Amino acid sequence: MRIPLALAFGIFAIGLVLSAFLSDYNLRLLNLSVIAAVAVIGLNFAFGYAGLISLSHAAFVGMGAYGVAILTTKFGWLPWLAVPVAIGITVVFSALIGFPLLRLRGHYLALATLGLNVAFYIVATNWIELTGGTNGIARIPELSFLGYPLADERSFLWFGLGVLGVLAAGASLIHRSRYGRAMMAVRDDEIASEMTGINTTVVKIAAFALAAGCAAVAGCLFAFHVRFVAPEDFNYAHSITYLAMLIVGGEGSIVGAILGAIVLTFLPEWLRFLGTAYLAFFGLLMLGILIFLPTGIVGLGRFLPWRRPKRPAAILGVRSTEVSS
Amino acid sequence: MADFIQLFINGLAIGSVYALAAIGFIIVYSATGVVNFAAGQFVMFGTFAGVAALMNFGMPWPVGYAVSLAAMAVFGALFFLLIYLPLRKSAVLTIIIGTVAIGITMQNAAQLTFGSWPFRLPSPLEGIMVDIGGAVIAAHALAVVVVTGVMIALLWLLFYRTSVGIGMRAVAQDVQAARLMGLNVNRLLALSWILAAVLAGVAGLMLGPMWFADVSMGDPIALKAFAATIIGGFGSLPGAIAGGLFVGLTEVLGASYISSAYKDLIAFGIMILFLLVRPQGVFGERIQDRG
Amino acid sequence: MTILQARGITKRYGGLLALSDINLKVEAGQFVAVIGPNGAGKSTLLNVLTGLVFPDSGEVQIEGKSITRAATHARIRAGLGRTFQHGRIFTRLSVLENVMTGAAIRRDLSEAQLRERSMAILESMGLAAEAEMAIGSLSYGQRRMVELCRALACEPRVLLLDEPAAGLNSGEVDQLVDRLTALRAAQQLAIVLIEHNMGMVMRLAERILVLNFGEGIAEGTPAEIQSDPAVLAAYLGEGYTHVGV
Repeated sequence: MRIPLALAFGIFAIGLVLSAFLSDYNLRLLNLSVIAAVAVIGLNFAFGYAGLISLSHAAFVGMGAYGVAILTTKFGWLPWLAVPVAIGITVVFSALIGFPLLRLRGHYLALATLGLNVAFYIVATNWIELTGGTNGIARIPELSFLGYPLADERSFLWFGLGVLGVLAAGASLIHRSRYGRAMMAVRDDEIASEMTGINTTVVKIAAFALAAGCAAVAGCLFAFHVRFVAPEDFNYAHSITYLAMLIVGGEGSIVGAILGAIVLTFLPEWLRFLGTAYLAFFGLLMLGILIFLPTGIVGLGRFLPWRRPKRPAAILGVRSTEVSS
Repeated sequence: MADFIQLFINGLAIGSVYALAAIGFIIVYSATGVVNFAAGQFVMFGTFAGVAALMNFGMPWPVGYAVSLAAMAVFGALFFLLIYLPLRKSAVLTIIIGTVAIGITMQNAAQLTFGSWPFRLPSPLEGIMVDIGGAVIAAHALAVVVVTGVMIALLWLLFYRTSVGIGMRAVAQDVQAARLMGLNVNRLLALSWILAAVLAGVAGLMLGPMWFADVSMGDPIALKAFAATIIGGFGSLPGAIAGGLFVGLTEVLGASYISSAYKDLIAFGIMILFLLVRPQGVFGERIQDRG
Repeated sequence: MTILQARGITKRYGGLLALSDINLKVEAGQFVAVIGPNGAGKSTLLNVLTGLVFPDSGEVQIEGKSITRAATHARIRAGLGRTFQHGRIFTRLSVLENVMTGAAIRRDLSEAQLRERSMAILESMGLAAEAEMAIGSLSYGQRRMVELCRALACEPRVLLLDEPAAGLNSGEVDQLVDRLTALRAAQQLAIVLIEHNMGMVMRLAERILVLNFGEGIAEGTPAEIQSDPAVLAAYLGEGYTHVGV
């Protein structure tokens, strides 16, 4: 229990310190990073642990976001009632669609989930009565925590960090448990997993649903932070971004998920000085990282003198391609 | 009836473009195992090579087209050297993200060169209309279908009647065995990428006059090409053709007869259905457990 | 009592008859070997028993309960265990974690108990020192042993071993034979062994089933099999004259 608690505490402490002296602009970016980090921790279950290439993650974020948006604006629900319902619907939907979908593997699964995300986008854009179409849904009410309204970037950040800390601790607990091991076993070798008594279908659906749940939480955070949702925020480009964050940070690692989210949220801003060429540069940079740093940022931790793991540590993951037979 | 004929031929024309894009995509996949998520941007490059050659440099039609395709061939070779070779040993997802990253770069590079406003790439058959059974069809649309047919025939000749093509098929089936037979595998892999780029170029040059030439046109095309390959059968060339035509027809006919807004959803819905029920598509083989 | 029974197993792959009307019966605690030339269908039989492949006809039962079309993980829970030719281990997990994924078949055990049980198994197989290591740092023989430990952690009643001696040197083979002998003495564990290493087979097996081209051509004690003309013909070809030894 020590490591998960230390993780949660560390996240909260660092964030608290940063929030004291950063400008409002950077605080906003940090908030977006935190929201992305929540989503990517979820994606880490589906992909980092269970090996499912999911290009529909942004759609699940969108379901959470649209869920609270529709319930609070169209039906007048209280925010804290809307949140669990939106998350619940997303999780149930992901489990139902996971059942047939997760029989696919590799790029077939990638394309199927891509199709799912595109389908979500098309529905969100065209079902105008429910979603407002391309105009989206505005005037989402403000979220309050224990009676304290989260009215500015700083207070939202504290709340977001709290959520992130709790989720990270939970993820760490799962990682070190038999459920985490089962997911990683399934990714490594499905047949051997079955032969060890693991019900791979259930494990994959659970990982997928868990990921969708985290995505929905991120979606709720997004909706209450920006207080406006539109289909553009949840198209498949964002799904790819989440995956890229995971890879850059280091897949199979909770710290990696968070680092990747922060780096890839801030990087486009730091590159803005390049003007309209920044996307091209961003793409090339991504490519460079993929080629030269395949284990992501946390993989660099290998070179620290005290980090010669004889065993894969819970926080810093080890990629399977490194150990070949 | 005249309406239907017009829609049908337009659907075939668009479908032919999708088919060419899908074929290029499958050639690369079969030979290298890479799912090229930048396939749409390849087509976009083809269109804009045409824009540069024909509009900016004002070359005559045959020269402009030839130069565009030559440029695409060079691009394919560069892609092989600079993107494929460094990534070839990476995991599936890394390659997917890598090709997406390069697609982003390509799109932005095109935007820097040509700006964000769409162009109208003209066709040598500009303004010429043909009457078929009471329907008025653009000659260009007919030409697209014919050209695609010719390209497919040429491809068949290449793969089944030339030693180079047979070599490419050998590499696609078993790289190690091909190496042991003394085939220059790297050269054949490079040829696969070059061929894919040229096919995408042809698709782009033909598509330009039918749509607009827009730097962001790549992604919608890629999505349709993916749907085409899934429905037709992932590793299969006849599948790519059938799938491409099917998607094109569904899009055009669906827009008219069912709903213009949800026309894309129909194609994707069918793609997802195939993935769930018959992932090998219409022509594909049973999916082996890849990796 | 009969632990594992396969009756009339037939499996075709297109034009190839991989298994033809195969019968196998394993009593509790019995050691049965399945031998035969390459391509005889031994691995296919294991795949049918473990559910990776369904037979075209025939029945598989464990302790009288039919599992012919059961999911693989369900069979493991019912008491089956298996190791693979060349070994299949989870390379992302440490040695101990590999064994713990097997031990987790017991949902009622706590994490600490899983760890305890897994360490005990590793100790009995001489791998306690390597418990926290990554798989990549182990030798091939050690990896096969980890796979065996993981299979044992699933508490099988009958263990199917697919060429466990392949790739091992003679010292490692002897060690394996000792360990398997000790296992049988300690638990009522039935073992079905597929092997090419005849020395190992003859030392350990109580009964032997011989397959050739998908058919069962002989079944009996080691002594009976060694002098069976059909078996000799299968391995050595026709025209071989057996001079009684």
